[in-house]
Order: sequence, then C-alpha cells, then structure tokens
Amino acid sequence: MPLRGLFAARGERPFVSRREISVSADKVLKQLQDSILKCDSAAAVSAAKAAIQAKVDPLQAIEKGLVPAIEQVGEKFERMELYLPELMLAGDAMKSALDLLLPLVPKGQKTSKATVVIGTVQGDVHEIGKNIVASLLMAGGFDVVDLGVNVKTSVFVDEAKSKNAKVIGASALMSSTIGSQKDIVDYLSASGERRKRAFLVGGGPTTQDWAKEIGADGWGKDAVSAVKLANKFAKGR
Amino acid sequence: MVQILDVMQKALEGKPMSESDYQLRLFASKVQEKVKEYDIKFDPATPIPDDPSLADDVFKAAFDLVVDVGAYCTNTNRVISYTEAEVRNALKFAPSELWFGEGMDRKLMRTRSVGDKSPPWCLLGAGGGACSSDRSFLTLVEGYAEIPETNAITTPALTRVGGMRIRPASPLEVLGAQRNAVLFREACNRVGRQGIPVMNTLSTAESDIALAGALHPKYGLRRSDGYMICCMDPMKVDFARLNKVTAVLGIGGAIGMCFGPMMGGYAGGPEGTTVSNVAHHMMGVLTYQSSWLLPFPLHLRYVSSSCRELLWLISVTGQAVSRNTHLLTVNLNYTSAGPSTPMCLYETTASVTAAVTAGMHIESLGVASNKEEDRTTPVEPRISAEVGHAVAGMSLADANQMVLKLVQSYEKRLADPPLGKTLYDVWDPERRRPSKEYLRVVRDYKKKMSGLGLPLRRDDWD
Repeated sequence: MPLRGLFAARGERPFVSRREISVSADKVLKQLQDSILKCDSAAAVSAAKAAIQAKVDPLQAIEKGLVPAIEQVGEKFERMELYLPELMLAGDAMKSALDLLLPLVPKGQKTSKATVVIGTVQGDVHEIGKNIVASLLMAGGFDVVDLGVNVKTSVFVDEAKSKNAKVIGASALMSSTIGSQKDIVDYLSASGERRKRAFLVGGGPTTQDWAKEIGADGWGKDAVSAVKLANKFAKGR
Repeated sequence: MVQILDVMQKALEGKPMSESDYQLRLFASKVQEKVKEYDIKFDPATPIPDDPSLADDVFKAAFDLVVDVGAYCTNTNRVISYTEAEVRNALKFAPSELWFGEGMDRKLMRTRSVGDKSPPWCLLGAGGGACSSDRSFLTLVEGYAEIPETNAITTPALTRVGGMRIRPASPLEVLGAQRNAVLFREACNRVGRQGIPVMNTLSTAESDIALAGALHPKYGLRRSDGYMICCMDPMKVDFARLNKVTAVLGIGGAIGMCFGPMMGGYAGGPEGTTVSNVAHHMMGVLTYQSSWLLPFPLHLRYVSSSCRELLWLISVTGQAVSRNTHLLTVNLNYTSAGPSTPMCLYETTASVTAAVTAGMHIESLGVASNKEEDRTTPVEPRISAEVGHAVAGMSLADANQMVLKLVQSYEKRLADPPLGKTLYDVWDPERRRPSKEYLRVVRDYKKKMSGLGLPLRRDDWD
C-alpha cells in the first residue's frame, strides 16, 4: 500500500528539519496527528487553529501533522485493525483541518497529488466501496471530490472539468448499473475531455475485461488497487 | 402493529439527520456501545459456538440497537424510530410459517430452531449473480429446478436485452425484469416443475419501476412467489424501496428483505456486524414489512461468507434469531472460489452447516463472489442442498469440529482463490449434467466429507 511519504516524495518543497521545529510546533503537530487518529473533527479544527496561532507553516502542518496520521489510519484499515467508520471519520477530521489550513498555503505550492472526482453511477445507491476508495485516496494524498451515489453521467464529467480533476472514478455494484460506466466514457469522449482525464471503474460486477471493453483506463479490483491506479494517473493520462 | 402508512409517517416526521451522521455517528457508535455493554466476543477457535448466553446477549444488543437507531430514510433525511413495544409487536405478529409455490411444488416454510432435525428450506440458484444471455439463464434455472431438494429458486440476473446492456430504471431494465419472470417460468415448465416459486423476485429489477412493470400476471409471477427487496446498508431505506414494498403488499405477496452487512463496514468487526445482522431482521419486519428475512453477510475483503469470522457471525445470528423469535430467516452464502474447485464446495459446506445447525434456512449461493457472468453452475447449489439436509439435527459441537477442519483447508487461499471454470466449461446443458472433470471433483469432495463424518447421497449422475 503506497501510502507513505506522499507529500514528501514529491519534493516540491524541502521539509523543515526536525531541529528547526519549535517545541510549540511539535506540540501542535502532535495535536493534529492525535485528532486524526482519534477520528475527532472538533479536535482537528482546534489543532489547526492552534497551528495557525503558533505560526506553523501550513504546509508543514499538513505534511508533518495530518498526512502521517491519515496514512496510519489507512494502513490500519488495510490490516482490518480498524473499520470503515473510523476510516471515514478520520477522513472527515482531516477535511475539517484542511478547510482551515489549505487557504493559507501560498499559491504555487501543491498540497495534493491531484484531484479525483468519484461517485456511484446513476441508478445505483451502493456506497460502501466508493466510500472506502474515497477515504483511502484522501489518505493517499489526493484531493477527493465525492459526488455521492446515483450520480448522473454528465455530473461526473462536468465536475471533473470544473475541479480540473485528473482522475474520474465510477463505482457500480449491480450488473444492471455497470452500463452507466460506459456512458461516462462515451460522454467524456464526446465532451472532448477524454485525453485530459483518466477514467477508472470499480465495483462488484466489474472486471478487467469490462474496463477494457468500455475503454476505461483502469479497473480497481479493490480499494488498494484503485489508489495505485490513481497514483499512476495523478499527472494525467 | 407498524404498517406501511406508519412507516411513511415516521419517515416524514422523524428526527432530521444527515445520512453521514446517521451511519457514522449514530449507528456505528451505538453498535460498538452494545458490543461493549453485552461483552460480545468473537472466538476464532470456535467458528460455531455452543453458547446460548452469547446468542441471547446478541439478540438483546440487537433489540436495543433497533430501538436506539431505528432506520433511516435517505429521501427525507429523517430517522424512522420505533418504540420497544412496536419492535416487540412486530416480532410477535410476524409469521412463523409461510406457503410458497403452486400445485405439487407448494411447500410450507416453517420456523426452525437450533439443532432442528427438519431440513432447511432450500432456496437454490445463483443468488442474483449475473448471466450473459437468455440461454445461460434458462440453462441455469432448468438445472436448479431439477435438484431434488429445491423448494424455491433464486435466479440469476439478466444483463442484456436485445443485445444492449441494461441501464437502471430504463425501458431495458423493465423489459429485462419482464423477461426474467417469463424465462423463469419457461425453465421450470421445461423440466416439469411448473409450480416451483421464484423467491428473489426479481433479481433483474433493481429499480421500483422495473419490478412494478413485471408484476402483471401475464409475465408469470404469482402471489405465491417470494418478493425480495434489498435493504441499503446500514438500516436505510428510500422511497424507491418503499414503492416496491407498497406494490408487493398490494398484490398480497410475501416480502423478504435481503440485507448484506459487510464485516469491516459500518458495524465494525465480527461482533458488531453480528449485532447489526440480527438488528436488520427486526428492522426488516418493521420498515420493509418483511414476512421472511434474507441475510447475506459478507467479508469486506473476501466478498464471501466462508472465513471464520463470517461462519461465527452466521451461526450466532441464526442462534440469536431462532432462540428468541419465530422469524423465518434464510441465510445466503457466497464463496470465494469458483465452479469445479474443491475449495468452492468446502466453502459452501461450511457456510451452510453454520446456518442450518443454528436454525436458519438457506439460500445458496453466490459463487466466486458472484462477480463474473456465467461463473456458476447447478452443481454448487445442489451440493449446498445435500449438505443442508445432511446436517439438519447435527449438534453445534459436532458442526464446529467439522467446520474447523473445512475452514483450515481453504482459509489461506481466501485472499487469492481459484476462480475455477465457467458454466459451459463444466456443465452440459443437453445432458443436464456436469463434465467428467467436475464429476471427479464432486466425488473426491464427497469422499472427503464422508471421512469427516458427513456421508452425502450418491450423485444422480452416477
């Protein structure tokens, strides 16, 4: 599970060395980590406010505070040491902190690998698989736009355009609903957007052959492979 | 007694709450609270526990959970709450027996108890697995109808109509649902079992309009069939599902709510998912107006129900429900491995044993996680049924011993199971029998089962 060093590995900005981190910053980073590990949104907001007040570099707060903790949550979920509610609540806590910290990151400094637009296709209300993938993508350093369930074909593409998402992920759990995944590929092509964005499919009745048949860029056998594929296409097709 | 108008009233007037808050902050935390309060613990060394107090505690925890969290309507974003008295009344007035089918195939499904010697209701088939064509559908259903133990059939789902892949809530889905009904009767007629009921009516109809569009008697559905309506996990409902409920009640059909809590999902580990599974029984009788229940718990990673945790979950669920209610509960099992592999047969044997010895009926089965089209044959449900009849009356302790040996033989392969063969690789529709290769697998399997103390009947194909 390639969840480690996601922000650090990009190398857009050198990390501040440990010695440079003040005691107070250390404490704040620990608070940020704890809030994610405890899946506590309110604590995450408090810790983010404390980080701002202590003048901790917001990018450092994200990379050294939030990211290692959400990675740890993702790894524990993979080992089934914790379960879906904790994974999603940790994701919610991370979002709460990011809402405060991201606006303070100077323009030009990247804070995520790429944006992924994800949802369950039209006519299908199954959400667990999609929620797991969305949470693990976020833990993997992606900016995730979760469109929910029963999402219209055009909404996947329009949202991807408006958010400049490099990756679109569509989940379908029913044999009667996977056809909508093909509709998204077709709509993407007709919109002139096909080359700009990778389209990934997943869900119970989907297979590698199905992905190939409809012209998708990849098939996520499970949440882990979905994250691997998103990493592959993070910079585009 | 709570009826459909009461459900609607509660859905319109219940406490407003976001879906996320309901499932993450109310449901998930209450489940863990109950697990802790009743000190419910999974023991991997005992996949089939013989501990009545554990079963009763799980039941109490589930009862409390239903009273605490009710159900959730995703259209109105409100909690559908139930009082203790409403839950008790629903359990009291739920039927303990139901007739299904017509003529010679009309049979009575009765409530069972732990260790019951009466054979389980055998709802056999594909569990809604996808099939590639009308031909595959007919081949499979004819095969299911010829299994001697078959009480009812769970059909595959059609994926195409007129060469086009079905789209949800479209004319293709309506036509697919109508075709599902017509082809089912045709297949049964072809093998002389005209009265046999379909009880996953209708696997091809995910949407309410598709089910409603197929209810006209000219498509062959009968009041004596079983009408399956799938619940949204956890404890959720929407107007489309309540539309189905209302339509089926309107024709006097018996609704079976199917629900598949995922172990590792909203209810957490095996303990919480077991409490959730039992709670869904009660919620189904209330919200979905179910007269029979169809749990199909699955493991989040393996998408099957044959690992130790799931066997424990199935057994404890069955014991909890059958010791404390007279509900009619039918467990659907999934295997990880595919047709013509020994592992697939051992997996279904373990799951069926867990269910039947705990007082449940069986729906069997989803093969190879029910993922691929046509990766299923009539052999696997036939084996399930033979096992179901053979283990009826077996003690929980004996079942535990046998299941332990089975699960030890395959558990290391659950993450990467052999997918086996597809329908036409190992099933001859003209001769209505499996290939020589598959027959060898079946014979070896039966030899091993005999060695484990479970002799099964000789094949009709011998």
